[in-house]
Amino acid sequence: MPIIQTKNLRKSFRSVKRQTGAAGALRTLFSREFVERVAVDDVSMSLEAGELVGYIGPNGAGKSTTIKMLTGILVPTAGEIEVAGLVPYRERKKNARNIGVVFGQRSQLYWDLPLIESFELLRAIYSVPRDRYAQNLKEFTDILEMDDFMRTPVRQLSLGQRMRGDFAAAMMHDPKIVYLDEPTIGLDVLAKEAIRTFIARINAERGTTVILTTHDLADVERLCRRIVLIDDGKIVYDGPIERIKEQYGTHRTLIVEFSEHYPTVAIEGAEFEERTGDLVRLRFDRKAISADQLIRRVTERYSVSDVSIEEPDLESIIRRIYVDGAVA
Amino acid sequence: MNLEPYIEFARKAFSREATYRIEVFTNIGSVLLRVYLLRSLWTALYRQNAPPADIPLHAMITYATVALMMSLVLEVDGTRMIREKIREGTIATDFMKPISLPAYFFSDGIGATLLQAVLIVPSVLLALFLVHIDVPAPSVLLAFLVSFALGYAVNFLLNFLMNIVAFWTLETFAVQLMIRWASDLLGGQLLPLDFFPGTLGRIVEALPFAAIYSTPLRIYIGELGPAQWFPAMASQAMWIVVFGTAATVFWRVAERRVVVQGG
Repeated sequence: MPIIQTKNLRKSFRSVKRQTGAAGALRTLFSREFVERVAVDDVSMSLEAGELVGYIGPNGAGKSTTIKMLTGILVPTAGEIEVAGLVPYRERKKNARNIGVVFGQRSQLYWDLPLIESFELLRAIYSVPRDRYAQNLKEFTDILEMDDFMRTPVRQLSLGQRMRGDFAAAMMHDPKIVYLDEPTIGLDVLAKEAIRTFIARINAERGTTVILTTHDLADVERLCRRIVLIDDGKIVYDGPIERIKEQYGTHRTLIVEFSEHYPTVAIEGAEFEERTGDLVRLRFDRKAISADQLIRRVTERYSVSDVSIEEPDLESIIRRIYVDGAVA
Repeated sequence: MNLEPYIEFARKAFSREATYRIEVFTNIGSVLLRVYLLRSLWTALYRQNAPPADIPLHAMITYATVALMMSLVLEVDGTRMIREKIREGTIATDFMKPISLPAYFFSDGIGATLLQAVLIVPSVLLALFLVHIDVPAPSVLLAFLVSFALGYAVNFLLNFLMNIVAFWTLETFAVQLMIRWASDLLGGQLLPLDFFPGTLGRIVEALPFAAIYSTPLRIYIGELGPAQWFPAMASQAMWIVVFGTAATVFWRVAERRVVVQGG
């Protein structure tokens, strides 16, 4: 049985329609004309316990709105939603015990107090048994290396330290599900790595179900096997990462360094992308032409000193899906 | 209801407020100055005019000094954080916790208030050297404390109502300042309500603000005898019920607004 399930989930917001100009502003005061904006449209998805899913989409695609409905702080306009056997918005507090949440943009730690005191507060809020709390605290302190700043007031922590604190805070009550909203935003490479390791470990060792929304697709490539892609409130892809790469990532880039200067470079079967000096990037579809063929065509016509091929990364594939609207 | 989280909220608020220790010392100086000024003011006023109502000078000075001490505790606005949380959007994460938010705000306010109460102890002791204030019998003192607690609740609910307006307007500071001035003047913090003439006096007595300062103070200075304690406190309790009901209703509406409109 899936731990998270939504069926035709929809959320639209109503706002008063604003007229332009001074007279319009006055009219806005009296008229009650509404415009409806659909944030989440017909979203159906299902997650098994223990899955680690990347929930990806551009700004305003409806990611946060979906997460808010899953946490129960937003009531859907239509559709069904069930999280660990509960309807979140009907039983918000009960649902709250099953979930942990991390927002990269805002902290849930007590600003003025040492980190440890926020953890103690969470122990009280979720009535975590003391021995369990001690065990979690020790484990998280080890993995996230929080020993050095456990007694430092949160406001004096660096962003990386604060985020590690926020992760431990979200996991202190052993939630079945965690929602991570842009958890690595603004972090340096080392802190990102620490956080990713932590996510991978709690997922693997505790079987915690994780929904990760992020713009950093390196997070997703490193952590998730499955991604759900949302655009304009609708799911445009739901499946394994490998498949999206196979399906949409058919283009490669051939990078050619010429030994002579050619003002224009044109090769049949490849698309000119950009050039820096005598280094030219050519884009081609591996279904239409093989790399071997293409290189031969290039070397027949020009004198070449070096070639290399670039595989598409997830980011460029997804960018293409958004731009071209390529959906299967 | 499991009380542990709320006790913990109060404790955390207490230690949070305690991190700003510098305030303690600036407070003592300003409190002493204010006590001294109040004494000089009332002494001068009594010398120039016939004593109004039936309040002798020493009772008046006692009234003014106790009112000042009360205001130090009552002006801690524990619900201010609601407004800040709404504006910063952090209220969303609080909604994701298995707690009652109004109870959270209340316990946080209690913690902050308790610290303030502890902090004013040195000021109070020093003030006793500066002015002579009457100390009533233990039973009166006890009645005063009960009435003060009721007044505290009225004040909390009033602040709570003011602050959740932020769900609609985001900014509530101006309205709050006006309400505060009104409650200081009409509630008997600046001067006893006996000073308001005739009908105006009766209107002011009937306003909820009187339940915050005036009732406990009148018990303290003995203007309300033991026979009047119960009806006085009953009227305070009535205001708690009225504002408590209003707060519950408005909170529900605000909560609905958050969950439907997304805050």
